[in-house]
Amino acid sequence: MSGETFVEYKDSFSYGSRPDLSFKFLKGLSEEEAATFLHDLITKVGEAIDDGDATRIIEHVTQGQIEAYSKPTQWAYDDGPFAKLAKPVRESRIGLLTSTGHFLEGKDPEPFGVKNMTQAEAVERITDFVKSTPELSEIPADVPADQLLVRHGGYDIRGVQADRNVALPIDRMTELAAEGVIGDFASPAYSFVGAAAQTPISRKLAPKWADMFKERQIEGAVLVPV
Amino acid sequence: MSVGHIARAFEENGIPTVIVATKAFRPRLEVMSLPRLVLTPYPMGRPLGAPNNAAGQRQTLLAALDLLETAESNGSIVEVDYPYR
Repeated sequence: MSGETFVEYKDSFSYGSRPDLSFKFLKGLSEEEAATFLHDLITKVGEAIDDGDATRIIEHVTQGQIEAYSKPTQWAYDDGPFAKLAKPVRESRIGLLTSTGHFLEGKDPEPFGVKNMTQAEAVERITDFVKSTPELSEIPADVPADQLLVRHGGYDIRGVQADRNVALPIDRMTELAAEGVIGDFASPAYSFVGAAAQTPISRKLAPKWADMFKERQIEGAVLVPV
Repeated sequence: MSVGHIARAFEENGIPTVIVATKAFRPRLEVMSLPRLVLTPYPMGRPLGAPNNAAGQRQTLLAALDLLETAESNGSIVEVDYPYR
């Protein structure tokens, strides 16, 4: 790495020689912004050494992500549709759909025909994923943790690996349904790899998935992007 | 953006939706004229809250379900500020 510039260094966390999807946003910061972010991060790590409180570090990383993602994309609409929930949530059948890239053991969607693709391979092929059409995976609400797999080259999956509920809250939804807060939690939930081509999702898949939700008599949906 | 497109299609087909996302996605989601959006102050990849913080995840979901039920128009956005842990 001799002669590596600071810009090359900060950019290397985004699909480069040091891939870390929680820090890929460094590429979206200017040289000065990234330098300030890293200096402040080191200061906060130094403070946490003595009191063990990582909150300041987590908040700093989150703030860095917010600053780096401050620009909207081309997908803008002047107005949008709105459907009102017909009944209270406690009487409604609620579905869940996430872009987390979860799937069941034995039901790998095998992107690009690749068997047993690893997370590292998915990260390496991110440019292929963003041009691809995703497949929807069914996730039964009671799936044991060891039968639920996740692979997604667009975000840091360490959080969902530690606890699926951080982005695929099937256990929390099940609990709320058991308590009567939700009328019924529609199992299975659904997951797909959200790093995908937008036009087929917008024109073809999303209307198709909406029809499927209607056929399953789902009356409201919780959607979680990552 | 994928989930934004799904929310729009679902609403067009009469299925009310609520999106739960980390605040970093706000600029991208806001311009998509989405029906209901709950924004959380958590690191990307953990929109509901920290791993094994069931109470926090539950609070986030309750905020989402409340918005699902009570929102009156497109563009209903709520920011929650429960601690990550």
